[in-house]
This record gives sequence, structure tokens and C-alpha cells, in this order.
Amino acid sequence: MNPYTSRYPGYDVLNKRDTPSWDAITRKVIAQRMATPSEPGFLDIVRWRALEALCACIVPQAADRPQAPLAGMVDMRLQKNAGDGFRYARLPPLREAWLTGLHALDEESKARHELPFASLERSAQNALLSQMQHGELTSAHWKGMDAQLFFTQRVLPDVCGAYYSHPYAWNEIGFGGPANPRGYVRMYYDRRDPWEAVEAKPGKERQAMEKNRRVR
Amino acid sequence: MAMTLSRQTWTGVACALAGVAAVAAISRRRKTERLLHVETSRAFNRSSALLACSVLTDSAMEHYRGAFSNVAMYVPPAVATFSLLAGFHGGADRTPSTHAVRHAIYWSAALTGLAGTGFHLYNVMKRPGGWSWQNLFYAAPLGAPTALLLSGALGAAAERLRNQPAHEPRLLGMPAGKALGLLSGIGLAGTAGEAALLHFRGSFQHKAMYAPVSVPPAASALLLHASLAKPQPRWLARAMLQLSWLVGWVGTALHVRGVARHHGGWRNWSQNLFNGPPVPAPPSFSALALAGLAALRLREGERQ
Repeated sequence: MNPYTSRYPGYDVLNKRDTPSWDAITRKVIAQRMATPSEPGFLDIVRWRALEALCACIVPQAADRPQAPLAGMVDMRLQKNAGDGFRYARLPPLREAWLTGLHALDEESKARHELPFASLERSAQNALLSQMQHGELTSAHWKGMDAQLFFTQRVLPDVCGAYYSHPYAWNEIGFGGPANPRGYVRMYYDRRDPWEAVEAKPGKERQAMEKNRRVR
Repeated sequence: MAMTLSRQTWTGVACALAGVAAVAAISRRRKTERLLHVETSRAFNRSSALLACSVLTDSAMEHYRGAFSNVAMYVPPAVATFSLLAGFHGGADRTPSTHAVRHAIYWSAALTGLAGTGFHLYNVMKRPGGWSWQNLFYAAPLGAPTALLLSGALGAAAERLRNQPAHEPRLLGMPAGKALGLLSGIGLAGTAGEAALLHFRGSFQHKAMYAPVSVPPAASALLLHASLAKPQPRWLARAMLQLSWLVGWVGTALHVRGVARHHGGWRNWSQNLFNGPPVPAPPSFSALALAGLAALRLREGERQ
């Protein structure tokens, strides 16, 4: 991979693991997150395949880069039953919503294409998700759950939340990672603390790369 | 024989000459030590040096924090370094005449401080909201460059005072003690003003934060009164100035402790030196108190 295609060339948030930027608890939490297995711990294998396909549609990841185990992270969340602390009254609790939603998605897919969601072409998958987003999926398999609400309040936040909680996504967007225990001391526009990523200006990629090597 | 004798004689003569020179040096030193106005000048040189030390550390740190985004931000640490060196030199110098290089350094420090106030004012005004509490608290601090201005002013006053006659020295058309008392008194009040703004920002979360906004202003008022009123011994002004000196050093210790109290303490020094209370700031009070005490000594012996 050409590092210059990144907006933050040479920046790797994981390089800060043994610097003052991370403390013991940060190291522990990130290590756990990085070690999330890409296999189901809560879902059955059929729903797991649907979830993997769904994650690939919502956050497509380049094949030539290390990928965040999104389905594994969502499954881990279901396994721990770690809710948000609040939910839409019209949606069932976390586990129930995902079990119902993934099953209904497969059934809707079978009704249209005689294939489970994971076996569809990407275009057919996206078309189906678009129908879900617009509230056009209303079969009995949803057990009364609003498919549109499931899409906007469960699928998007849970999958995107999983992606942006992963260090690979931090590298991509130049996020400095946990502010604890360092803290920000340059609270003004266009100011960068020494532990934050350097954004490359066009034609200045090499300089940004040099600076990103010293980020700690 | 003649050779031997002459060698002994020469040795003896050399010893005698050295002795005479030493005695002369001591007596000359004794004599110059009694020149009150030169001693006052030296105290002002030293006070200027302590202020310059504060400015050097503070401006170097805060301008580094501001990423030296303007080339002019390199100037105050550089100028403060020269002012600091001039203060060391002048503090040890008993010559009763102006030192041209030191004098020039002090003037450039004063002018840098003046220009810096302009830059900082521009920085406050250009931010969204302009002249507002938010920007007074968090934009470039308006009071900070004044410390460099004061360091230069105290030093320049010291240099001009050296050129004055030992008997009834004058500065700016008034008795020297009066002029220096006014200068230190105003400086002390201004510094207390900056502490008031920033301790208000810190919502006076520790009782000791009231000390620099009560003791130095009282000392300043008493010193200004002593300067303007008929000269006479002023024990209360002296006591308050001594207390202000103490407030400066105790404040430094408390600021060091304040940094320690921030998340991560001194182990997280690279952040907490900036986020915590500024360690180099409080010695400014000690510096101005020293100047004030020297000015008061001179003032108490004046006739009008």
C-alpha cells in the first residue's frame, strides 16, 4: 500500500502504545478490541453470515488493508448484552432487535431472490438495504419491529460505532486515540498537540510522514 | 650578593604593592558600597533579572504551545535572555555610571514588551467574540508582555540612576526614590491585575489564590503613598512589600503543587506544565517587591 494515499501518511495510533499517551487501562482495552475474533460467539452461523454481509455493505473496507472485525465486534457486544443505556420504545432490546432483524433480512432476501442475504450480489444487497432504510420491508418476520427504525437506530450506529472504535479507523481519520491520560493543551483551531496526527497538505506528504513518525 | 638582595627586594616590593592594591580595592569598595543610589540601581538590575527570568520561561513555554505560529513569537524569549544577562551583570556591578550595552538591552526589552502588548491585543480582537471574557481568558494574555516592559523599564531606570550624583539623585524630573517607587508600585498593581483575571478564571478554587490579589495591591498602594507623600520611615509599606516577596515564592511552590494535582501529575509534565497553573508567573511579585523595597529605602532618605 502506498502510504501517500493516506491523508495522514505514516501515522499509526498503535505506535503510541508504550508512550506517555497510553496508560495501563488504555493498553488493556485496546488490546481486547484488537483481539476481537472474527467468529460468532452469540449469533448462530446463519445470522452471523447475514451480519458479515451487512457490515460489508454498511462499511466497505479495502481488501489490501488490515480490516476491522466489524461483525465480530457487533457479536461481542451482543454477547455482553452491552446496550446504550436507552432505546427507542418502538424497538425491542438490543439482542432481540438484532436476532429478529438479521433473521427477517434473510427471509426478505429469500422471498425475492431465493437466496440468503449473504449470497446475494452486492447490488441486490444494497437494493434490499435501501428498501429497509425507506421502511418498505414489512413482512411478518419482523415481528412488528419497524425495519426502518432498526436500520437507523441499530444497524447504522452499531456497525459504524464498531468501525470508528477500532484503531484502524483512527489511523484513517487521523484521530489521536484516547485523550486520557495526556489531555489536550492546544484548544484552538488548526493547533495540534504533539500526540495528534499530522494531516498532509497536497505536495507535502513527505514532511507530514516525517512528523507522523515522531507522534507519540 | 647584590643579585640575591635585589631579588628579595623585588619580591618585597611586589608584595607591598599587592597589599597596597588590595587595601585600595577594599577601601574603594567600602567607599562605593556607601553609594545608596548605586546600591538601589543594583537592586533594580536584580529585580529586572528576576522578571526577565519569568518572562523567558513563560514566553518560551507559551509560545511553544502556540507553535511559534508568528515569527515574532521568537523575539520575547530572546530579548528576555539578554535582559536576564544584563541583570546579572548589573547586579554585580558597582560602577556609578550607566553601562551603555545594558542600557540598550533594557530599552529594547521595554520596546519588545510594548510591541508584544499590541500583538496580544490584536490576537484577542481577531478571535470570534473580540473583546470578551472568553478571549481575555484564553487568547494571548494581555498582561504577559507587560512583564517584559517592566523588566526593561526597571533596568533602564537602574542604568539612568547610576549616572546621577550620589547626593539627591533625580529621575524624570523628580527625586529618584519617588520615581522608582511610583514605577514599582504601578508594576506591582498591574501584575496583581493579571493575577486577578487569571485567578478569577480559576474561580479562586483555592483560598491561597486570594493572596496575590490582596497583599501586593496593598503593598502597591502603600508604596505609591510613600512615594507621593512627604518622605518618612514607612514600616507598614516595607512589611507589605516583604510579604509580597514571600507571596511570590510561596505562590511558585503552590503552582508547582497545582501542576502535581492535575491528572497524571508531574509524570504528565509535558501536558500539565501548560494545563496547570503557570509555574514561572508568581516570581514576578517577588521581583517587583525587591524593586519596591529598594525604592522605599531610597525614598525614606529624601527631602521632598
